[in-house]
Amino acid sequence: MTTEVPADEAPAAEAPDPELSPADEASVDEVPSHEVPAAVRWRRRLAWGAIGALLLGGGGFLYAGVEARDAPAAANRALTDSAATDAVIAEVGSALAKVLSYSTGDTAATAQAARALLDGPAATQYQQLFAQVQQRAPEQQLILSTRVVRVGVVQLEGDQAQLLVFLDQTAQRKERQATMVAAQLSVTAHRKDGHWRITELKSR
Amino acid sequence: MAVRRPGAPRSPLSAVATGLAALAAVLAAWSGWSWYAAAHDGTAAFAQDRDRVLAVGEQAVQNMNTLDHADLSHGLDIWESSTTGDLHSQLVQGRAEFTKQVQQAQTVTTAKVLSGAVTELDDRAGRASVMVALRIAVAAPKNTPATKEARMLAELTRTGDGWKLSALGQAPMGDSAANP
Repeated sequence: MTTEVPADEAPAAEAPDPELSPADEASVDEVPSHEVPAAVRWRRRLAWGAIGALLLGGGGFLYAGVEARDAPAAANRALTDSAATDAVIAEVGSALAKVLSYSTGDTAATAQAARALLDGPAATQYQQLFAQVQQRAPEQQLILSTRVVRVGVVQLEGDQAQLLVFLDQTAQRKERQATMVAAQLSVTAHRKDGHWRITELKSR
Repeated sequence: MAVRRPGAPRSPLSAVATGLAALAAVLAAWSGWSWYAAAHDGTAAFAQDRDRVLAVGEQAVQNMNTLDHADLSHGLDIWESSTTGDLHSQLVQGRAEFTKQVQQAQTVTTAKVLSGAVTELDDRAGRASVMVALRIAVAAPKNTPATKEARMLAELTRTGDGWKLSALGQAPMGDSAANP
């Protein structure tokens, strides 16, 4: 032992280490890592083990939490967000009743409503259909009225929604008995500037 | 020097380890709390209930519109296992009579669900309403096969054996308000 050895290194010299030769013990200034006392080494291993366990556990909880939140079920806000669900049901229902109700005597109001309430493929599709209606309007003298029977939200995520709509459509031609048909539509809508607009309509 | 002398600054390794330990502890605590919150989030559970109700409802409505005269007792067993309450009792009571009718007509009815949505869900009371659009094909030896679109409203009730159909009917056409 030399006088250079500090007090807290003393146990190192006492620790049994068969590989340690007296020559090694003399050069304490270099302090090779295997000279660290066993107790300290165990404490270090425990500490690293604890850190590892905390990291693993934390990571596991993080993963489980993200899984629970981002599950497809939770992302769909249909019914879980009742205010948003009611809003999209009310707006899409009233939009359909407006654009699918017209009198051949006055198509301007319906065409205007369609421009405000439809978008994308639904708007294009509707324009083509409505052009035919306007062409035949004078001879047909048709009044079509659409009543919403029930609307359900299939999917509601952010500004996108998919709905299922049951409609009653009554066609009244001049001097003829009115006929009523049931219609089922799959509707895709998106929200722009706080209002829902119908982008796709598919008959079911 | 790996070994600290008294009064000397801690080794960089030791400082890093202490920092890491603190970070790991914070991460574990936060993520544990976050997981707990997500797992006990009523909204997530409600959303899962909704999806389950829709899946069960669509399947039950399809079952109730599917029947093959050649496999009648199996088909009627499925009807009975899809239903509960009054609807179930009616099916059980009318089974013999209905079997006779279908065997005479020799019909094969097949339904396919086109779309469905849950319109109401009370997860506490265990009641739900579902709307379903479906296509029904009916084949009988004397008639040409016919396909029709149907729209149905179903009610489901939670039982000890999962959600079951407790009422089923066509969505009526032409309420008094719309009737000309």
